[in-house]
Amino acid sequence: MGMTRREFLSYGVAAGAMRAGVPLSPPLRASPTCCWIVSPVPGQCSLPESARGYRAALPPRGAMAPAGEPCSLLIIPALVCFDRHLVVWIDRALQRGATVIVESGAAFAADSSFRDHRRALRQGLQLDVHAPVDLWAERSGRIPYIDYSWPHRTRVRDFSRVVPVGKQRGEVIAWQGDVPVALKRRVGQGTLIYLGSPLGPALWAGDAEARRWLHAIALNDRV
Amino acid sequence: MKKSIGDNMIPKDWGFDRGLDLIKKAGFDGIELWLGDVPWFQMSTTDAQVRDLRRRVESAGLVVSNVSTGLHWASPLSARDPAVRTQASRIVERQIETATLLGTDAILVVAGLVTEEVPYNEVYQRCVDALKQLGEKAARAGVKIGCENCNSEQRFLLSPREFGQFLSDINSPAVGLHLDVGNIHDTGFAEQWIEIHGPKITRIHLKDVLKHRGRCGDQSVYTNLFLGDNNWPAIRSALTKVGYDGWLIAEMEARYRYAPDQQFFDTAQGMDRLISGRF
Repeated sequence: MGMTRREFLSYGVAAGAMRAGVPLSPPLRASPTCCWIVSPVPGQCSLPESARGYRAALPPRGAMAPAGEPCSLLIIPALVCFDRHLVVWIDRALQRGATVIVESGAAFAADSSFRDHRRALRQGLQLDVHAPVDLWAERSGRIPYIDYSWPHRTRVRDFSRVVPVGKQRGEVIAWQGDVPVALKRRVGQGTLIYLGSPLGPALWAGDAEARRWLHAIALNDRV
Repeated sequence: MKKSIGDNMIPKDWGFDRGLDLIKKAGFDGIELWLGDVPWFQMSTTDAQVRDLRRRVESAGLVVSNVSTGLHWASPLSARDPAVRTQASRIVERQIETATLLGTDAILVVAGLVTEEVPYNEVYQRCVDALKQLGEKAARAGVKIGCENCNSEQRFLLSPREFGQFLSDINSPAVGLHLDVGNIHDTGFAEQWIEIHGPKITRIHLKDVLKHRGRCGDQSVYTNLFLGDNNWPAIRSALTKVGYDGWLIAEMEARYRYAPDQQFFDTAQGMDRLISGRF
């Protein structure tokens, strides 16, 4: 990506400002020990609404940490391509006990970008994912919801395409039909969560179940 | 008020210049150009070619009333695929650019498309977001974006108050309503849309609609002026009430099967009658 780590961190978002979503669930109250960072990787705008969705769903001010600071929850929305600087940051957060949500933005990416995404995940985070699946390729008359089993059972709208996760270490926490689309894994003192179906756009659209899912994770720093 | 009609009404085998002659002879003051719907006005049409279109329009004694497009049905601003969304914004930008080249100050945009796949709340947020940015570009160019009320087809912004909230959320003086009085069907009354939106109306499409037709009475079909169920005296009164003095643009979706040129004359005369207020 051609940037220094300092430059990368400077892009991190320290304060949420967007209040785009309709507040369909009660506002989240942050505990004093809880802080979060929503940090889209600069230069890739595959799903700009995803970052806005996370920011809108989390408290706008107060509990968000400055980029690069220790935090209990680090969210990388709509990720497609990334380099070792991001891997270092994620790994450091995990070692400190944070929960890190890596949301894939690669389902709509070009083939070459997806191959880069898959390679970087494998090499940097030891995550194995499969090629994107178009959930609407065949019109079955059914809405292909994503069913989450953790941290509680809930159901969120699909985002047309998913990046399935492969068989690997960790626990599958969401399915679309019989396709595993999200995974969590303990790493160091922390928890790494990979979302193969973007949640940010649903948050941006004010989806109540998506907000409850995120709040459950944001409020529990020992997930 | 001035009368216009779309260039997509020109019979396919007539060509642009012959169509312009017909539109002038029928009594119209202007022409609505449809980006992407006619061979002479495509996304690939160069600036020089667009300037030539303007020259031909003005040589025929007409002006361009506005720039419309049907391209957003396939490439909506509300698409989930970022590549499609980028293309949708590019279409609006090209409309703004060509409007300036053609000497008009209004474009028509079909803002969003609610489908089984892309739900309402997503469409709403994405359209507001896109139109905030496009509104800034339009304002700089001195062009107004008119979001059309395609109520039934879009399944979006079904009531005039909801449309008002949408425009309020966009909060741009360069973004308003391109009202189609035939598109409202059973979701309301065109005259009330006119009263509620008044100065935010950028242009008006005219056509009539036959409600509850078909064997089972479950279809609305578009038709020529005064053949359908629109309350034209009420529409005319509402236009007077809000002081609308802009373009009326005929958008006849049902075409004459024979003598297609006759539809231009009949439509122009119908519009004259509407403007006169004699019913």
